[in-house]
Amino acid sequence: MFADGRFGYLERVRYGLGYVTTPVYWVADIPTRISFWIDDVFVSRSDLLVENERLREDLLVAQRELQLLESLASENSRLLDLREATQVIAREVMPAEIINVSPDPYSKRILINKGSEDGVFLGQALLDAKGLMGQVDEVLPFSAWVLLITDSHHITPVEVNRNGERALARGSRSTVSELELEFVTQTQDMKAGDLLVSSGMGQVYPKNYPVAEVTSVYSDPGQDFTTVKARPLAQLASTRHVMLVFASEERVLPEFDLEPGEETLPEAQPVKPVFDESQVSQIDPSTSNQ
Amino acid sequence: MQSRAHAIWVILLSFFIAYLLAIVPFPDWAMNYRPEWVPMVLIYWVMALPYRVGIGSAWIVGIVLDVLEGSVLGLNALGLVIIAYVTLNLHQRLRMFSALQQAGLVFAMVGINLMLNRWLEILTGQTVASNLLFLSAALTSAIIWPPMFQLLRHIRRSFDVH
Repeated sequence: MFADGRFGYLERVRYGLGYVTTPVYWVADIPTRISFWIDDVFVSRSDLLVENERLREDLLVAQRELQLLESLASENSRLLDLREATQVIAREVMPAEIINVSPDPYSKRILINKGSEDGVFLGQALLDAKGLMGQVDEVLPFSAWVLLITDSHHITPVEVNRNGERALARGSRSTVSELELEFVTQTQDMKAGDLLVSSGMGQVYPKNYPVAEVTSVYSDPGQDFTTVKARPLAQLASTRHVMLVFASEERVLPEFDLEPGEETLPEAQPVKPVFDESQVSQIDPSTSNQ
Repeated sequence: MQSRAHAIWVILLSFFIAYLLAIVPFPDWAMNYRPEWVPMVLIYWVMALPYRVGIGSAWIVGIVLDVLEGSVLGLNALGLVIIAYVTLNLHQRLRMFSALQQAGLVFAMVGINLMLNRWLEILTGQTVASNLLFLSAALTSAIIWPPMFQLLRHIRRSFDVH
């Protein structure tokens, strides 16, 4: 009976039952919505003014950073154009809300209020305002389960923002919400405070989104690997508003080229080549010296 | 006949509320102490109306709970079927028991259910092996049982479910 769950053909049953269970989630969410509503309605005028002021300042800072980012993005795409490769940074996002969490404290999964009716698909990346949260694990008609990056079954490919060292971040095996970097050799350059961003490998997560901050690096000479722990940047336990990322269509990874001149470029770390003929064929190597 | 399907909505509503209580988010420290509402409601209805609520209903209730919790299909269904079977066999004695004896039996049945669930979860790779703290839910269930039994009996009598 339960062994059937391991194979694919019960997915449709589960999907159909999703229609039945939607009202339960909806009702279970009522207390939270009421408390948000009360927070919204019974708020003093001075609080609103202060919050308004703060939000305006935040917006200003964010806009300034956006301007900076735009120039960087165009510069980046020019540089990538030089290498005959394009990587589209702009992606569509869809706002969603967390409506439930997994009742099992050892499995870190959350439920969001967008489902296949809204275009959510398996493996879609979920972000909040601070960083990467997880990927869609199971799609129901009006909701979807998301596996968080701190789940012990989840591994996020990351790289250190400072120097591009790559690593795999696995969720902690305890109930603590933290990440452990796997297979970090003693010689790799990592220190506490380093920002880890998604490396885009594995093709699940978009590249360069902040994931975590390294909190401790412990190097035991008797061990093969260094123990590196990191704290996820996304507010996994406290946020309610999240974003689903839709990858854009025209995604072409840089061509994997072994020309000697390429290695001096900062982008020249071996990015995993895509074995997808339709994408590879868009890159024409003959025009690389124009 | 009219009496055949009398006030079935009361049973459905009680399960609906049990589902709600089963998935409402708790603070992290309290997660392990959440009473097993759905098995308890099931035990009550099987005990009170064994000709209406039986193993088949237990299976359906369990499948819906599986989808709600996002676990492997059949995980909760198996546990609830076993609970329903035990309760069906014991229902005549259970009705004669004192509240304390009933709570003891609820403790045992919910505990078995929890252990079975945990084994299956580890077997299917949904969770990782950890301490035995998850069994404390059986204790809270047993403590909750006497007032819950009174409440459900009151509801059953006032709505005349039979």
